[in-house]
Amino acid sequence: MQGFNLLKANIRMEYIEYKRYLPNTIAMLLTFYIIFIGMFAGIQLIGDPTTQDSNVQFVIVNYIFWYLAMIVVNAIGWQITNEATQGTLEQLSMSPMGIWRIMLARLISSTIVSFLIIVALLYLSMLTTGQWLNIDIITILPILILTLISMFGLGFIIAGLSVVLKQIQAFLQILQFILAGLTFVPLTVAPFLAYFPFVKGVDLVRAVMIDGVTLSQIRMEDFMILGFNAVFYFFIGLGIFLLCERVAMKKGLLAHY
Amino acid sequence: MDRVETIIEVQNLKKSYRKRKSKEYIHAVTDVSFKVNQGEIVGLLGPNGAGKTTTIKMICGLLIPDSGTITINGINNQEKRLKALRHISAVLEGNRNLYWRLTVRENLEYFAGNRGASRKEVAQQVDELLETFRLQEKASELVNRLSRGMQQKLAIAVAMLADSDVILLDEPTLGLDVETSYEVRDLLRSIANDYNRTIIISSHDMDVIQDICERTVIINGGKIVTDDKVDNLLRLFEVRAYTITLGGVLSEKQQKLLKLTFPGAEYKEDINQSSVGVDLEKSEAIYDLFDIFKLEETPVESIDRKSINFEEIFMKIVKGEMDDARVQSS
Ligand SMILES: Nc1ncnc2c1ncn2[C@@H]1O[C@H](COP(=O)(O)OP(=O)(O)O)[C@@H](O)[C@H]1O
Ligand SMILES: [Mg+2]
Repeated sequence: MQGFNLLKANIRMEYIEYKRYLPNTIAMLLTFYIIFIGMFAGIQLIGDPTTQDSNVQFVIVNYIFWYLAMIVVNAIGWQITNEATQGTLEQLSMSPMGIWRIMLARLISSTIVSFLIIVALLYLSMLTTGQWLNIDIITILPILILTLISMFGLGFIIAGLSVVLKQIQAFLQILQFILAGLTFVPLTVAPFLAYFPFVKGVDLVRAVMIDGVTLSQIRMEDFMILGFNAVFYFFIGLGIFLLCERVAMKKGLLAHY
Repeated sequence: MDRVETIIEVQNLKKSYRKRKSKEYIHAVTDVSFKVNQGEIVGLLGPNGAGKTTTIKMICGLLIPDSGTITINGINNQEKRLKALRHISAVLEGNRNLYWRLTVRENLEYFAGNRGASRKEVAQQVDELLETFRLQEKASELVNRLSRGMQQKLAIAVAMLADSDVILLDEPTLGLDVETSYEVRDLLRSIANDYNRTIIISSHDMDVIQDICERTVIINGGKIVTDDKVDNLLRLFEVRAYTITLGGVLSEKQQKLLKLTFPGAEYKEDINQSSVGVDLEKSEAIYDLFDIFKLEETPVESIDRKSINFEEIFMKIVKGEMDDARVQSS
């Protein structure tokens, strides 16, 4: 029950921020949309006309996932940096729930609240390009959930590093491009990337949305990798976060003055 | 079981910080031990850099001590950190521990939510607190539009909402104007009386501590210098300090004699009047003083106990003058 209240409080906070700073929210969406238009135009200008349709579809899926990764992984880094400077991180650290539960609640809430935006972005990009993807919810959902769990793990790692390192901002800027790289590089180019946090998930979602693969057609092996990644990255991430929290409590880094 | 229950016990705390980009250490807290009983209001008094904030943050579980233990309600706060945190809430230094982009009410609800309480559960308490802290009219105002004093009151309200046994406040009146400072002090006193919470307040301002606390732990250079009732400290010094008003001025000979017998005496001269301020280690010494006046038949107009303020006491204690006083009083 306490955990549920914690989640509710954070969902509400997330929602209030989006609503109160609506112009910011819209500006952010617009930026993403313009980046997408740019990629779309690029494909039409220089891409091979025979593969154009599949290239556009490829870009749509990747870019939606890039947005998701930014919301989950990058945003928490910025949030922590700000809160450590503001002083609220110390206040949160005194919660008997434990700061990691609060962070998990935040990761989940930002995913839930931004989901509407993601769906809007998806339909907007399909409408712009006239490429309609296969939205097979039953197949996408389990893949998406497992992928998100590994993303949360990555989010925890970034959150932990942001607590300990005062100069994390520069890295967070670069991280945006690393995340883009992870979502845009096809697995066929670099098979070992399957064991990176969410690459396998994006690959499978592409198979569903572009090639129309259904749940029964996905190999058990693929789900195993997905499941393994989810568990592995989540616990590694949590472990690193707890370690960073401890270092911060030893060195007095919960507030960056 | 004892009637007076110890709620916080701090034993031999030690904490050093590594200086940035060097191998040197700053010994912020070198040896701090004290106990706080249920319902007590204790002041942690010391000059800037004494180690007050460091001590408070260790009690709040925000800093891990290098050595030493802290027990809260019998729970060791390093072994069972989260369990210990249930009994504690704090207002840390400054006005920056609130969400400036949320309203007053949203801040209260969000922090309560992060402790696992639902909005419904705390609704009544939030209303009560808003009333007590006279913040009802500002309930829907964004925190960044509030005055510094109101932000501080809200921060205290957030700590109150946690419903913990102990509340720690680090420099609660720092940066407030005089009027607001008094309002916050009143508020803290009423919290202590009406809600029966245990309160620990740190300050470098003796006036604040004297005003609110029953007992004070004085800390300097990372060590406890003294731990006593505020009243005791005041009395201890008050009895020995006198101001004697004279109906004339002292001759040079008298002045020399005064200096010789009472090196610390303060002599002030007016036209047809003068005054002598003196600390009398032993009350019999007052006869020696009178002998000096009698020499030239200088009339004594009045003898007043000098109202020594807490600041002077504090300076004396910190300077180490306490040692002999302690021997006397025990
Ligand atoms: N995070 C920190 N890193 C390095 N030194 C610190 C840190 N926090 C406090 N100090 C140093 O430790 C000493 C005690 O500080 P503090 O506990 O804040 O004292 P007070 O609250 O009594 O003013 C000071 O010399 C201060 O400069
Ligand atoms: Mg301080």
